[in-house]
Amino acid sequence: MPIGNTQPSVRPASAGRAGGAAPTPAAHRHGAQPRRTRGGLGAERFAPYILVLPAVLIIVLLRLYPLLLGVNFSFTGDGAQNGTAVGFGNYRELFGDPLFRTALSNVGLLVLLLPVAVAIPGLLATFIYLRVPGHRFYRSVYFFPAVLSPVIVGAIFNLLLAFDGPLNAVLGSFGVGPVDWLGDPDIAMFMVVGVHIWATFGMALVVFLAGFATLDAALLDAARVDGASLRQVVWHVIIPSLARTIQFVFVTTMIGMLTSMFGLLFVMTSGGPEGSTYLPEYYIWIQQGQMNRPALASAASTILFVIMLVVGLLQIKLLERSGKED
Amino acid sequence: MSRLRLGRWLIAIPMSLLALATIYPLLFTANVAMKTRRDYILDRFGLTDALRWENISTAWNSVGMGRYFINSLFVVTVSVFLLLLFGSMAGFALSQLRFRGSSALFLGCLAGLFIPFQVIMVPLARIMADTALIDTYPGLILVYVAQFLPFTVFLMTSYYKGIPPEIVDAARIDGSTVYGVYRRIMLPLGTPALLSVGILNALFCWNDVLMALVMMPSAEHRTLMIGVTSLRGQYSDNIPTFASGVLIAAIPVLLVYLFLQRQIADGVAAGSTKG
Repeated sequence: MPIGNTQPSVRPASAGRAGGAAPTPAAHRHGAQPRRTRGGLGAERFAPYILVLPAVLIIVLLRLYPLLLGVNFSFTGDGAQNGTAVGFGNYRELFGDPLFRTALSNVGLLVLLLPVAVAIPGLLATFIYLRVPGHRFYRSVYFFPAVLSPVIVGAIFNLLLAFDGPLNAVLGSFGVGPVDWLGDPDIAMFMVVGVHIWATFGMALVVFLAGFATLDAALLDAARVDGASLRQVVWHVIIPSLARTIQFVFVTTMIGMLTSMFGLLFVMTSGGPEGSTYLPEYYIWIQQGQMNRPALASAASTILFVIMLVVGLLQIKLLERSGKED
Repeated sequence: MSRLRLGRWLIAIPMSLLALATIYPLLFTANVAMKTRRDYILDRFGLTDALRWENISTAWNSVGMGRYFINSLFVVTVSVFLLLLFGSMAGFALSQLRFRGSSALFLGCLAGLFIPFQVIMVPLARIMADTALIDTYPGLILVYVAQFLPFTVFLMTSYYKGIPPEIVDAARIDGSTVYGVYRRIMLPLGTPALLSVGILNALFCWNDVLMALVMMPSAEHRTLMIGVTSLRGQYSDNIPTFASGVLIAAIPVLLVYLFLQRQIADGVAAGSTKG
């Protein structure tokens, strides 16, 4: 955007120095500039392509091409059937596998918990934006776990949530019986998701605060002068003004839940107990690395990609709708 | 107004409790790392009576965290260097130079943003095996560069778009080549963005576990995070050593955070608002 604004003011000066004898209209000069650049030495002409080459080559060969390869791969067999087409065989097997079904229903659970994972940083960002006493301190403390590796976070909570660990010791002193936080199939997934939210809400908080920075302060002042309560301010001023940021956080939080919980699962539960904490990414890893079923893993990858596409397309749809409302 | 003001102080109570919940787990771990095994079993929460560094040195030497630390440091340094080099080159060309196909190439780079590693893990491992790059440092570095390059190109392109084109024009008229402009103008002007993106990439690579797990099967090539995952099985009955291993892996990140917190937050914020 800045390019479009500044160009007209620059053109006359640079074109004059380039030695244009006849004064040509601005529209002509605009076209003349790139031609001069391209007309240089051979190496110069290809300079832009040489500059983008490493990045484009790496992204095409190690991101885009593997995606196609993987989808293609998911329709072939494993083991003795390696390389032969099996149609939708892998997909049929996936949906028949209770572990993969658990992984999908856990994705459903993540979707249900998504509003909580967005609301917590959203509310905290609101308070920080409204200059709660000590807001700078809160901001830097809350963001801290977001920079720690899931592996470190998982290891720390392994320690805290161990059956004979400190949390149960504290509960025990209140007479609450020990809970097997990571060993009970009904509880373990909630603990892992809870730890994930604990570790990542700071990231969403920073995104929210960046959104708040674009908020029109006059609106807030007006609401306050009119005697609006905090709830009214949040509901009628902040949420409508931050619609785009909120949607962005929804999508990135969902994608984060789908693609960055592997470290936690690996360290905290290894998918257990009784396979209750499987997510698609963990399933993919197990099938590829442990079970030697790369084609089946590719089918699971393709389904994960479709889930993410749906999340992404939903966002585009929402953005379009909010664009119309503007 | 007064209602809002009173509310502010009331809100500070849950916010402080949450702040405590945010930092306590790490403080607890650091405290445990300083205790003896006996101390920990007798009293989990009490402050350690002395700063004992034996557990740390055990974790560093006998557990092998020291070697893993060096491995990680090497892989992260080279990866971040390549990311910044390729990212700034492409960002400069895509934002400041006009050439045929530039917008298609930019979109191609962006498409990489929407492909998570989990989705291409299987074919990527196969490609790496076919090219004999699996279980080698160059292989893992290449995977890291590919993983974080779309984001780096995107942010560098947005940043360089803010630099007025007359700067480039002036240098070109003075006879500078495109490469000269990149080296003498774009790299120095890009320093704030390079710093921000570089720190973020360093954190991403340092913290990664899945890519290292898939690409580096053998034990001597382990990165530090894989080292942390192996602590669980080996040292689950020796909690202070376990905690020391975790602490070794967390301390570099903690230091980076303490000194460069603003750059990290800026990078995250730039990634969200530029989209």
